[in-house]
Amino acid sequence: MKKFFSLGLVRGLIWQAIGTAAGMGLLGAIRALMGLPWKTEPAMVFGGVVGAITFLAGIGTMRDWWHMALGKPVPEAEEVHETPGGARYFGVSLDHKVIGVQYGFLSMITLALGGTFALIFRTELAQAGLDFLNYLQFNTLIGMHGMVLIASILMGIAAMANFIIPLMIGAKDMAFPRLNAFSFWMAVPGTVLLVSAMFVGGFETGWTAYPPLSVRGPMGIQMFFLGVYIVGWSSILGSLNLIATILMMRAPGMTLFRMPIFAWAMLATSIISTTATQLIGLSFQMVMFERLLGMGFFDPASGGNPILFQHLFWFYSHPAVYIFVLPGLGVISELLPVFARKPLFGYRWVALSSMGIALTGFLVWGHHMFTSGMEEYLRVPFMYSTLLVAVPTGIKFFSWVATMWQGRLRFPTPMLFVLGGVIVFLMGGLTGPPSGTVSTDLHLHDTYYIVGHFHNTMFGGYIFPLFAAIYYWFPKITGRRMSEKLGKAHFWLLLPAFLLQTFGQMRIGLLGMRRRIADYDPEMGFTFSNQLITIAGFLVAFSVLIFFINLWISARKGEVVEGNLWESRSPEWQIPSPAPLHNFAEPIRVVGEPYDYGLPNSRYVETVRQPAGD
Amino acid sequence: MAGHAEQAPQRVLIASANPLFGKGLEKLLRQRWKIAPEQVRLAGEMHAALNALDQWQPDLVLVDYDDETIERARFLDHLIQGGGRALQVVMVSLRDSGEVVVYDRQTFRGERAGDWLEQPWPTQPPSQEQPRRQDGMKHFVIVGVLVVIFTVLTNFGLQSAGLLPVQASAQATLIDQLFNAHYWVISFLFSLIGVFMVYSIVVFRRRGENDTQQGKFFKGSTKLEIFWTIIPLGTVLYFSYLGSLSLADIRRVEPQALVVNVTAGQWYWRFEYPETGITSGSLVLPVGEQVLLKMTSADVIHSFWVPEFRVKQDILPGENLVKELRFTPTLTGEYKVLCAELCGGAHANMNAPVIVMDKADFAAWEAGEMAAVSSDPAARGERLAKNNGCLGCHSLDGSPLVGPTWKGMAGSTHELADGSSVTVDEAYLIQAILEPNAAVVKGFPPGVMPATYADQFSEQQIADLVAYMQSLK
Repeated sequence: MKKFFSLGLVRGLIWQAIGTAAGMGLLGAIRALMGLPWKTEPAMVFGGVVGAITFLAGIGTMRDWWHMALGKPVPEAEEVHETPGGARYFGVSLDHKVIGVQYGFLSMITLALGGTFALIFRTELAQAGLDFLNYLQFNTLIGMHGMVLIASILMGIAAMANFIIPLMIGAKDMAFPRLNAFSFWMAVPGTVLLVSAMFVGGFETGWTAYPPLSVRGPMGIQMFFLGVYIVGWSSILGSLNLIATILMMRAPGMTLFRMPIFAWAMLATSIISTTATQLIGLSFQMVMFERLLGMGFFDPASGGNPILFQHLFWFYSHPAVYIFVLPGLGVISELLPVFARKPLFGYRWVALSSMGIALTGFLVWGHHMFTSGMEEYLRVPFMYSTLLVAVPTGIKFFSWVATMWQGRLRFPTPMLFVLGGVIVFLMGGLTGPPSGTVSTDLHLHDTYYIVGHFHNTMFGGYIFPLFAAIYYWFPKITGRRMSEKLGKAHFWLLLPAFLLQTFGQMRIGLLGMRRRIADYDPEMGFTFSNQLITIAGFLVAFSVLIFFINLWISARKGEVVEGNLWESRSPEWQIPSPAPLHNFAEPIRVVGEPYDYGLPNSRYVETVRQPAGD
Repeated sequence: MAGHAEQAPQRVLIASANPLFGKGLEKLLRQRWKIAPEQVRLAGEMHAALNALDQWQPDLVLVDYDDETIERARFLDHLIQGGGRALQVVMVSLRDSGEVVVYDRQTFRGERAGDWLEQPWPTQPPSQEQPRRQDGMKHFVIVGVLVVIFTVLTNFGLQSAGLLPVQASAQATLIDQLFNAHYWVISFLFSLIGVFMVYSIVVFRRRGENDTQQGKFFKGSTKLEIFWTIIPLGTVLYFSYLGSLSLADIRRVEPQALVVNVTAGQWYWRFEYPETGITSGSLVLPVGEQVLLKMTSADVIHSFWVPEFRVKQDILPGENLVKELRFTPTLTGEYKVLCAELCGGAHANMNAPVIVMDKADFAAWEAGEMAAVSSDPAARGERLAKNNGCLGCHSLDGSPLVGPTWKGMAGSTHELADGSSVTVDEAYLIQAILEPNAAVVKGFPPGVMPATYADQFSEQQIADLVAYMQSLK
């Protein structure tokens, strides 16, 4: 029991509870002193903010900074000796590999949670009529499904980046290890707040939180805003750290155009995160203030403009799509050459296409607003810019295909997920243009077609590559490989079930099924399709369950692999598995190109030997 | 190699620290080219090789690729100093299997040495190059044919799958034309990427677990990259252009359009015909005549969508944010307008009938509506209930919807959410309309019914509504 309470996470959560209660009490007391009656909503918001801060203080992420401010000596991050063992993963650690795994845990928990929400409302939708949920519960669940999974994706990306990037560029750690720990631990109270939205009244707006609906509805929306706000901070700080790491910490000889392609993808993603995330934070903060303080930003009833919110919101939330998919596309580009035994076709073009997507991603937010009632002429330039995204995305597809062409393809589980990712992302890409041209989008907007389309992009661009990455790098974490048998079962169940689900969604969407409806008219003839979608959804969930079982079993009993399992050229595979404490026992140096597979006797990196004599 | 016998080199230098390597090659050369022993020299060390390069001036140099004592950079330096002399350099590697692999066979001169350094060391052995290239052509031909076949099949599948609802407006016809253009592009790109991938997976897979062979060493092609940047760029610009033409077409204005003022609210639709003063809960339209909807919302954002008409427009609250939508119904029949923007609570059930009728029928409907202002309060109440969306949540046949049914409600006793019970009399009905959350019937969620009716209805209208409810036995 004592051991349990010594875990940082437990301590932090207790502190968060205490802080929340104290914050609520403080605000209540101030109001009482001013002679005002008790009001739950502002007290909850204030309590939520205080709780998040006390969590971070209680777990100890800010102790070193506090000591620095007091002028006490603080050890260099590299010199901090952490006791190995499982407990390290439940408290503050400065090791990027531990933080990567921590992000991974949180990402898997939120993935399971967000997926479960979907299963609940998919069950409700299996037949017409309201069966066991009421409207508010249904609406809360769809909103939570969206935002909890967005948080999960951000954390999954941070997990991959934190664990892999320093290993891949030959660094001992991230540029700012303390900031790194701080970013991760911020995400924990943020997630707690986000999920708590369900228990303090729920909300009925979906994840987009459009005012004026969000200005009126139940109070849960405030916890939702607060959770997103804090997770957003975590994402901004994490990506700042990544940019610094990628730009400053590379091994000697690793020029930008000799970096592994995944580092390029993470660089592009991080640039978007650091520059766009503020806008969703800002827009949510404005609605929060509108509710709390009566500032009339968005509700026309108090002189605001609801379209303004949509501009601010989508200015982040469209680039966010690229934040979600660029790392996944990077994983695909990274793994394809390894399993095709052939150089990545057009390395520079693939690298720069990530930057191209990041740039054009900022110019297209208006395509979410073709029906919104913004200035009508704006729809035309946004149509042009939207379709332009197809150009850098096309470069990636063509390069992947050319990489496979005349290769010598091997198909272990990670490669299956890579190929599945390419196919599913292709579906997502090809179903995009009809919603990019204005007149066809007038039909498609806010229908199940869009639901099918973006689930294709999210699965192809994130979920499949994430699984590929986990199967691929799992030995680097544990020194054991994951079961191929379970991995293949996972893949062959997931891919067809998922495609069935999204094809069904897109078909009924074209025929007239709207998004986000708790009930549908049985006369429209969608009942059978909805049942298929629900069954497919459960199969997807079942396949992920197999994956979790695989993770659990393989971490304990998997086949031990220490060396370069996949015959990769990348630096992280030139050191033993699991990766040792400070990564590289001797520094490395880049002496070749990263993807020269098929070129005998060439090397990408070599160990720098001790200089002899001089 | 026999074909080159006429141009057989006069002096051949073999650079390798491995005597077996040199002897083996020498034997091979003498057999093939029938050159004399004095025409071949062996150099086992770097400086010997460089000396021989200068003094003996060979016209072919065979370098042991696997020999790390032979340094490329020093060779290169030497050549640059040596001036513009041309010579053949061949990299040779002897495999354990006895196979001879020959790399990078090229003539080079000092002035082109820079290019040479830039290039990757070896390429594929030339002995395998020829059949490979033919093989490559064969692959491309097969894949090209398959792509064409699959494009046609996929497009046929998409066109005939019945993916879109009936075309019931002039705009629907235009929009579907653009959909059809999209189907072609989707079919082509799907087939292009799909066929190449599946073909690679099948044909270029590794043969067996122990196959350690690598893929073809090929790093990219700037020409290809430019090609597949420029072509898609042109295509998307052209498609955007098509898209803007299509948008212009569907927004074409007819000056004589029938104006209907639309009010959307949680969760009802109300349609007012300003020319005739008619107010209706369903949108009734004459066929073949453009309609101009001027839309506003009473509370949050809603969206007007009739799938058969294809077009959609969000409806915003705020007097200065009235949004317009034009379309021309072309097919008589009954449709439904669906709210397409999540508006909370009963969003899913926010719909209203849309009836497109012949012009003669429409005129008759207008006349009937204008004459229908009744003297019976219950009949007036019935119209109010229909036109204000009350019946979206309260049924008349006894089935519970979002709210309690009105059938047999008046005079009955209901249990309330707080456990008390109430007899549904006139006073309770008025309270339930004006302050819907004050006393909610057990089993129904609070906060669903809008509390805005006090502003919306006059006292007379509320009395009419109550009279109507009381008439439903």
